[in-house]
Amino acid sequence: MTSSAGSLLSLNNLGKRFGSLQALEGVSLDVRAGSVQCLLGENGAGKSTLCNLIFGVYEPSEGDMVFDGAAWAPESPAVALEKGIAMVHQHFSLVPRMTVVENLMLGQVRGVLKRHEFGARIRDIAENFGFTLDPDAVVGELSVGERQRAEIVKCLMRDPKLLVLDEPTAVLPPGEIGALLDICRRVADSGRAVILVTHKLAEIAKVADRVAVLRTGRLVADESMAEADMGALVHAMVGRELRPLDVALAETDEDVEASEAPKGFALVCDGLTVHDRHGAVRLDNFTLEIRPGEIVGLAGVEGNGQSELGMVLAGLLRPTEGHFYIAGNDLTHAGAAAVTAAGGGIVPEDRHAVACVTAMSVAENMFLNKLDRFTRFGLLQRGALNAAAQKQMQEFDVRAAGPEVAFSGLSGGNQQKAVLARELTLDPLVALVAAQPTRGLDVSAVEAVYRQIRAAARRGVGVLLISSELDELLAVADRVAVLYRGRLVGERPAEMNERGAIGALMSGQVA
Amino acid sequence: MEEMLAVFIASTLRLAMPLMLAASGELVSERAGVLNLSLEGMMLTAAFFGALGSWASGNPYLGVACAILASVVVSAVQAWLSVNLRANQLVVGIGFNILALGATTLLYRIIFGGLSREEIPGLPKLAVKGLSDLPFAGTAFFQQSVIVYVGLALIVLIWAMLNHTSFGLAVRAVGDEPRSADKAGIPVAATRWKAVLITGFMAGFAGAFISIADIHTFTENMTNGAGYLALAAVIFGGWNVGRTIAACLLFGAATALQFQLPAMGIHVPTAFLLMLPYLLALLAVAGVVGRLEPPTSLTLPFQRGK
Amino acid sequence: MTDRRRLLGMAVPFVAVLGSMIVGLLLIAASGKDVPDAIEAFMDGAFGSAFAIGASINRAVTLSLVGLGFILAFRANLTNVGGEGQIAVGGIAATALGLWPPIASLPLGLAVIVPLLGGTLAGAFWGGIAGFMKVRFGTNEVISTLLLGFVALLAVYWCVQSTALLRQPQTSSATLPESLQIADAAKLPSLTGNAESPLHIGLVICLLLAVATAIVLQRSTFGLRLRAIGLNELAARRAGMPGGIMMVVALAMAGAFGGLAGAIMLQGEQYYLKTGFSSGYGFDGLVVGLLSRGSTLGVLAGALFFGFLRSGGISMEIMAQVPAALTLVIQGLIVIAVAGSVILVEKLQGAR
Repeated sequence: MTSSAGSLLSLNNLGKRFGSLQALEGVSLDVRAGSVQCLLGENGAGKSTLCNLIFGVYEPSEGDMVFDGAAWAPESPAVALEKGIAMVHQHFSLVPRMTVVENLMLGQVRGVLKRHEFGARIRDIAENFGFTLDPDAVVGELSVGERQRAEIVKCLMRDPKLLVLDEPTAVLPPGEIGALLDICRRVADSGRAVILVTHKLAEIAKVADRVAVLRTGRLVADESMAEADMGALVHAMVGRELRPLDVALAETDEDVEASEAPKGFALVCDGLTVHDRHGAVRLDNFTLEIRPGEIVGLAGVEGNGQSELGMVLAGLLRPTEGHFYIAGNDLTHAGAAAVTAAGGGIVPEDRHAVACVTAMSVAENMFLNKLDRFTRFGLLQRGALNAAAQKQMQEFDVRAAGPEVAFSGLSGGNQQKAVLARELTLDPLVALVAAQPTRGLDVSAVEAVYRQIRAAARRGVGVLLISSELDELLAVADRVAVLYRGRLVGERPAEMNERGAIGALMSGQVA
Repeated sequence: MEEMLAVFIASTLRLAMPLMLAASGELVSERAGVLNLSLEGMMLTAAFFGALGSWASGNPYLGVACAILASVVVSAVQAWLSVNLRANQLVVGIGFNILALGATTLLYRIIFGGLSREEIPGLPKLAVKGLSDLPFAGTAFFQQSVIVYVGLALIVLIWAMLNHTSFGLAVRAVGDEPRSADKAGIPVAATRWKAVLITGFMAGFAGAFISIADIHTFTENMTNGAGYLALAAVIFGGWNVGRTIAACLLFGAATALQFQLPAMGIHVPTAFLLMLPYLLALLAVAGVVGRLEPPTSLTLPFQRGK
Repeated sequence: MTDRRRLLGMAVPFVAVLGSMIVGLLLIAASGKDVPDAIEAFMDGAFGSAFAIGASINRAVTLSLVGLGFILAFRANLTNVGGEGQIAVGGIAATALGLWPPIASLPLGLAVIVPLLGGTLAGAFWGGIAGFMKVRFGTNEVISTLLLGFVALLAVYWCVQSTALLRQPQTSSATLPESLQIADAAKLPSLTGNAESPLHIGLVICLLLAVATAIVLQRSTFGLRLRAIGLNELAARRAGMPGGIMMVVALAMAGAFGGLAGAIMLQGEQYYLKTGFSSGYGFDGLVVGLLSRGSTLGVLAGALFFGFLRSGGISMEIMAQVPAALTLVIQGLIVIAVAGSVILVEKLQGAR
């Protein structure tokens, strides 16, 4: 058991196995008091596992930890909290209908509530770290950034020595990221240590003192931010020069000419505007035209109106203003069934909530919008349905024990392929709107999804590809439009050397 | 006229009292996320065992204790089923109501036999010195059985508890976001258990009021839907103590009017007055009288990690 | 494995019924009554005569209809607690139509059919209100159907209290608050032709509807869509299903079954409207629907059981002086036991 001088938390050769899966292996890291440590890695690299070990959710399989000069093996998050480690989770644990002060008192006080006194403490702490927080505001009425600050104050009230923030920027609109980083800096300056977990290095680069990179459960880089080379770090995180998408890109596009381009636009958005329940503008006068056979990428940090746009185009949300057309048909108020009938294929960003009924069979899900085809006198022809599903499963490489197994039993990649199969086999298919279609998928599934999307475009389908993964968009799309705070702020050709310009647009810097 | 008004106020209070007691208890449980459709059954059970205890011991106070004990036992089973076994709260509630109606009728027939109307020792009315002699509605307000004074004090306590104590905070948190409450170190199951027991305790008071303080006997199905009316009051009151009590008084007044209006020569169908509470509650849940949001996790069982 | 799971699912209601019956017998013994006597009286009342069997089956018909409506709506994850009120409005409509002279003179059995349809539509309307409130205002259907139930029960009270509505002409102060008897032509024809047996064609209607329900739930595309909406409304809407309309339809169907049950009760046996004529059938029907775990056969079996239980209970009270409330105790215990064992069954099924 060793501990370097000055380090608050030391991880020594830490490992974690789940059954046969080695989630984490041989991780050694020192986190110093008064510093901001950035923990970088792609989805599934082991960041969450590492946090959960530190925070006492799991026990390590190998190795040990030292915290504040003593062996560290917390048996539960409660113990970790008590001993000085606090964590802000990606999903907040606040009760929306209670006020900030009530939320922060929950579980912390006994007996009669002294809201005033406690509220004053909240104000003090917030002020100490350079921000404001109204203790009497109802949490449900706060912005995401304000809720996050409430969570941070909740942690700071316990006067922790180490503050862990899990993907804190993922939920924030770009404008609030700077404020968050200032808070992190001040927390570190007060002598505490801060661990920032993220897969978006660029956003937090300016506040990090040190950066460690995890890839497939191993620590592949650990250096001082001042000396680090950004390109090298990204390379270490991704671990490969050639992304799978480049392979897809390398496929010849020769047969593009083969399909005759129909006249007019596949999909037209004309001034779409969405106000949320509180009247805030989520989508602002969004106008975009997509030709048949064209793939338009829509880039943007999550939470800048993509979800609302997806819901509008799926026929599930009525825009406050504006119209959209598929093959010239105005479908703004027509509803989901009409979008499907007009040839609008939709791959929604939240697969489980919108695209499928996981408790029903694969066949039922693959034909959920075409059940009429298998209906005679009101009765469902199951034999024909299952046979058709079987055929389509082969065609789209959906791997499952059979068409009758529950959809929930499929892997994420196979679920997505099934949804894609359903939407791509619409007849007619004029436009495809795919939102974050590769999220959470493994490399081979990502490749399969994009192969299908490109094939559809070659057949003359207009594709709107909404993604927060800029590299994917650059690889697949013909041009990239950028959404920022609900507005279309610019459009660039999908070329690697435009990466910087698009990135600037995404972060709200007008070119 | 003045006398008539005094009578009206007195009968409104008398009819609203069991509703107020039961509804304020049920409110606590619903704020914690447990809906007790069994409120009716708890009250009926309490009314019966209250009458039985009072009759057997000759002491109405012992009767009240019996009523509360019986009702708390029912609520404990309800809590076990809905919190620990995560059973469908509505189904369990309906089951309890059927069981309570059957069991009290059966026991009544077995113990008292036939359709006798055995008078039981009731609670005396206590006059608050000085106040009960006030003109107009003095007697209505200040000459009541002790149950009324204790009950009103308990309702105030419930209000204070829900809004101004850490337990009340915990109750509201587990009823809205049990997952967040759990993360904040609040024992979700225990909090819900306590809330349901409070419902049982208050329903016991309500049942005892009906049989021991008010009617002085037990009759089959004597609560006659008062439990459901109390549930409607909680809904109409928007899960807020003050508004719920106001709803109970309103419902009590509507019921009292059926005796008063004919005497005043006004003819409104009785059925309409009886229907009014349910119609109002319907309008309330439809959002016609302001948007009412039930506790987010009402009727949803909680299981960590799911 | 699926067989085993199904068996487990069926075992629970069975064990609950058996256990509750044993408790019932113990209660009879504890109350000092003669158990064999009571059992004999029970059997006599339930199966002892053509009258007894007919009356029990008629009860079962009412319970089945409410139960069938319940499982239809439940497929869309909607819990209809308003059976009692739907029976009540069905009864009101059937009485009103059955008392209306032009209807009674209709040919071709229409004098029977029109009131039945009227009751069905009234029930559908009553259930549909709850559906509308759910879709339009997001009102929980459990709360709305329950409240609508009370309103409907009081509507019956209103109807028989007011001569302007359905109360028979008041000739003396002793005139009961009831409606007149409906026209003979509106009464349901007997099924057996035997004057001894009250069994009427309600049974045939019920069986036909049970078959229809089974087909809708298991074989039809509509049934699959109901299921999809129940499991994931947003995904179902995305797939082009009109989620809101389907929910209204589902609750209206449940209400229609309840309304029909009310009309059949009225035209089959009661013949005139009086307060409390639905006497708990709505709640019992809900229980039957719940116990069936979504199976049509389960509904019929449960309804028969409760139908005979009620008849036998009444006979026990008359012949063996065992209060009929005993059957309520048994019923209540069954409901609580089945509801409480859901998690247990899931655990056992999960563990295989």
